[in-house]
Amino acid sequence: MSRINKNVILALLTLTSSAFLLFQLYYYKHYLSAKNGAGLSKSKGSRIGFDGTQWRTVKKFIMLTSSQNVPVFLIDPLILELINKNFEQVKNASHGSASECKYFCVPRDFTAFALQYHLWKNEESWFRIAENMGFQCLKFESKDPRLDGIDSLSGTEIPLHYICTLASHAVHLVVFHERSGNYLWHGHLRLKGHIDRKFVPFRKLQFGRYPGAFDRPELQQVTIDGLEVLIPKDPMHFLEEIPHSRFIECRYKEARAFFQQYLDDNTVEAMAFRKSAKELMQLAAKTLKKLGVRFWLSSGTCLGWYRQCGIIPYSKDVDLGIFIQDYKSDIISAFQDAGLPLKHKFGKVEDSLELSFQGKDDVKLDIFFFYEETDYMWNGGTQAKTGKKFKYLFPKFTLCWTEFVDMKVRVPCETIEYIEANYGKNQQGM
Amino acid sequence: MDDWKPSPLIKPFGARKKRSWYLTWKYKLTNQRALRRFCQTGAVLFLLVTVIVNIKLILDTRRAISEANEDPEPEKDYDEALGRVESPRRRGSGPRRVLDVEVYSSRSKVYVAVDGTTVLEDEAREQGRGIHVIVLNQATGHVMAKRVFDTYSPHEDEAMVLFLNMVAPGRVLICTVKDEGSFHLKDTAKALLRSLGSQAGPALGWRDTWAFVGRKGGPVLGEKHSKSPALSSWGDPVLLKTDVPLSSAEEAECHWADTELNRRRHRFCSKVEGYGSVCSCKDPTPIEFSPDPLPDNKVFNVPVAVIAGNRPNYLYRMLRSLLSAQGVSPQMITVFIDGYYEEPMDVVALFGLRGIQHTPISIKNARVSQHYKASLTATFNLFPEAKFAVVLEEDLDIAVDFFSFLSQSIHLLEEDDSLYCISAWNDQGYEHTAEDPALLYRVETMPGLGWVLRKSLYKEELEPKWPTPEKLWDWDMWMRMPEQRRGRECIIPDISRSYHFGIVGLNMNGYFHEAYFKKHKFNTVPGVQLRNVDSLKKEAYEVEVHRLLSEAEVLDHSKNPCEDSFLPDTEGHTYVAFIRMEKDDDFTTWTQLAKCLHIWDLDVRGNHRGLWRLFRKRNHFLVVGVPASPYSMKKPPSITPVFLEPPPKEEGAPGAAEQT
Repeated sequence: MSRINKNVILALLTLTSSAFLLFQLYYYKHYLSAKNGAGLSKSKGSRIGFDGTQWRTVKKFIMLTSSQNVPVFLIDPLILELINKNFEQVKNASHGSASECKYFCVPRDFTAFALQYHLWKNEESWFRIAENMGFQCLKFESKDPRLDGIDSLSGTEIPLHYICTLASHAVHLVVFHERSGNYLWHGHLRLKGHIDRKFVPFRKLQFGRYPGAFDRPELQQVTIDGLEVLIPKDPMHFLEEIPHSRFIECRYKEARAFFQQYLDDNTVEAMAFRKSAKELMQLAAKTLKKLGVRFWLSSGTCLGWYRQCGIIPYSKDVDLGIFIQDYKSDIISAFQDAGLPLKHKFGKVEDSLELSFQGKDDVKLDIFFFYEETDYMWNGGTQAKTGKKFKYLFPKFTLCWTEFVDMKVRVPCETIEYIEANYGKNQQGM
Repeated sequence: MDDWKPSPLIKPFGARKKRSWYLTWKYKLTNQRALRRFCQTGAVLFLLVTVIVNIKLILDTRRAISEANEDPEPEKDYDEALGRVESPRRRGSGPRRVLDVEVYSSRSKVYVAVDGTTVLEDEAREQGRGIHVIVLNQATGHVMAKRVFDTYSPHEDEAMVLFLNMVAPGRVLICTVKDEGSFHLKDTAKALLRSLGSQAGPALGWRDTWAFVGRKGGPVLGEKHSKSPALSSWGDPVLLKTDVPLSSAEEAECHWADTELNRRRHRFCSKVEGYGSVCSCKDPTPIEFSPDPLPDNKVFNVPVAVIAGNRPNYLYRMLRSLLSAQGVSPQMITVFIDGYYEEPMDVVALFGLRGIQHTPISIKNARVSQHYKASLTATFNLFPEAKFAVVLEEDLDIAVDFFSFLSQSIHLLEEDDSLYCISAWNDQGYEHTAEDPALLYRVETMPGLGWVLRKSLYKEELEPKWPTPEKLWDWDMWMRMPEQRRGRECIIPDISRSYHFGIVGLNMNGYFHEAYFKKHKFNTVPGVQLRNVDSLKKEAYEVEVHRLLSEAEVLDHSKNPCEDSFLPDTEGHTYVAFIRMEKDDDFTTWTQLAKCLHIWDLDVRGNHRGLWRLFRKRNHFLVVGVPASPYSMKKPPSITPVFLEPPPKEEGAPGAAEQT
């Protein structure tokens, strides 16, 4: 009897469970399609590459943006790399000739696109349409850094990032903003309290860990995997920029506090010096850019940026740093051609090189070359009058972009350590 | 067996339901051990899978739900934020359906308190005379508008009628008189007060005190009045305490179609009052204008900075006209508000524009000047690619062809270094002195009031030496100083493309506005094609002026230039008159002439090397200052230049110079 009961129960259970299982499978599928695949299962491999989820998501996203005239362009490093490898082929491919899905079907969590904000005319309605199409979007906003430099302005927040998911694939839309100095800036993707940290694997995002600065890319239209997308005309250059794109903002608040304590020098001479120093900087930056030589603000110029977001009027020169491995023999002649004759040359390429050029209006351009040792960096200094030599040691540093007198220039990311190594702990009164 | 024992607990409901049907069917199955084993394993597997799928489903659904809750967040957060600002007291205090309102009226003090919170208090001396009006939202009790109409003075009652008529029906109206509110309270206004149900309002007498609470179009909720016993004294102070029942939120709101635009409208209209038909339930006036695009628009990417203070009604009128102008690009517009005022920001949000608030620095004129500097710097920071910026103020109407005018002329600013600005405003362009919408001038003065600034001029010259906060200078006076202008000129149209309607402001009052701004000519013709724009360049303009002077008929200098008959009754002729002007800065006769022509005479405007150009009786009228002007050589030897004596000092407009 007990055996029969067991059997009965067993069979019953089997059937109910299978009925349930069927129902649940059906419901689950129904639920998925109802939400337009917004299901968040990250069961990688099972869907990706199998039915081209990414491809379909990207296609929908491109349909959405082109119908709304939103000029997004592809900046995804993985895809751009693939494109770069087959650049000729991509450029020649005509619409619809894609036989296999090569670019958009590689398993990934994200596809990154970018957009120049000033070309975006209908942000509000775009957002709504995206949601109606089944995208689930997160928007990241912050205050506008372009207003920070000005005393006491507070404006509407600006969008920095959008992350839109559809059918387990996410499109990361990086919003680029124009900045003074002819470059594009994107913000830091900051997860605020109420944001679902599991919405997408944020850690894997390629952009947004730090704010970034990029040259304004020229764009071109290509057809890849049957989709028409805009990409940077020179994908190589863009790819090279990505790892070094980190941007740090000048500390405007501290600079204002500094000026409250030590009033700004607004004499005619100070203004004249600032003007010529700015012009000299611009000329130097242009010349070095042409040569492809990386440089950063050093010594007094760096201190001016850090402490007061401007040029220190009594410093009387402009100081730049360059890694010795970036040294090029034609630097001197290039500066001479630009109208900056060599004034001094100290040391040699192998050891403590320093170049000094004569700019207009008695403003000097000093270029210090930095040498790297295993656990520190150093540059040599020579006092022009006495010929005495000094060795300045710096803790190791990396380079970041920043904005300085309407230019995009580099500074050491570890600025305070750098300045303290240069000037000691207290540089307020200097 | 223990394996599957817990499973009935998971699915007891479904299992029970189907039991009887299975029982009969189940008995027919064989008892074989192998089959049983097979069934058992299969069942266990099934169960396991079911459990897993179930758990997953539950988890996913839960996550999806929590996301759905927080996902349309930008909108929602905003709404909540708004809600918090609107009525902080009401939140969390439960559904209170009655407001208790206190209104006080007396000679020297008025106040209004809603639920114990003072929403109006005015006991300042020599200020706030007249009828104070407060509008409350009938559903929330939140203050939507606060105005004072000095009905002791003329025309203020008209403004009050205008305002009260714009208030939506159902709103709670509170009125209270400070000092005197009846002297210029005319019949129209009294009739309106009567229609609101007021007993004492229409009968308001000299120095009476009066407090009133009522619903627009609905019942009076309380009224107190005290007559002044004698001409020299005031009525006794009155304190009105009354309960105002709140109505439901639905009643207080309109039901517009759910669109992006109407969402903005709704946010705006539930917060502020006094904007008339934009909040009308039945037939709201549009807040999006789609003016015709401008073919070959050269100023489409030029940023527009609107400089604003706390005059939200002006800003509203200004933005309406700006957004209706042909060729406007709304995404290039930024409104800079001097101070943390909410209502101007609400107006900006209504039109979906970018608004930036500015913490006030310094006082009076210097404050305005610092606000200008911050706004201009911010504009060029926000649009680093722009070479120009259009600068507008909140009290301007913008002509329909404003951008067309700029689009046709902006290349001059690029090509001609001797130019300082392009301005939409002709200081001398009054209804009786401006005629030709296609005509442009070069002038040595900077008119402002809707103008284009070159970025290089600002960044390289103006910004570094902009007056600092401790210097109490007017920014425009500073910009007009020779050190800044350095001999450069501005391009202006004969008929202005902007209209200055503001009558309250730092340097403005009703009398001044009526005398100098009201009769200004304003172009209303769309798509005017400007004539000979390139002849405005430095050298070409001299050629043009010489041509004009050569063909001009010399007027009869024996007649009084102030008389209408000084010019013949012709049309389309060009006439020239010569006035005395000893040195470059001798404007004695010009100022007198300007005064009698009823044009701008407070300082010299609109001159170009001692030449003024205007229209009289539809004829082009040139005035040349002899001998200072280089054009004096065109004067026939027989003509003696007109000389007009300045009046004795005290008759001159007092304080005129500082009023500009």
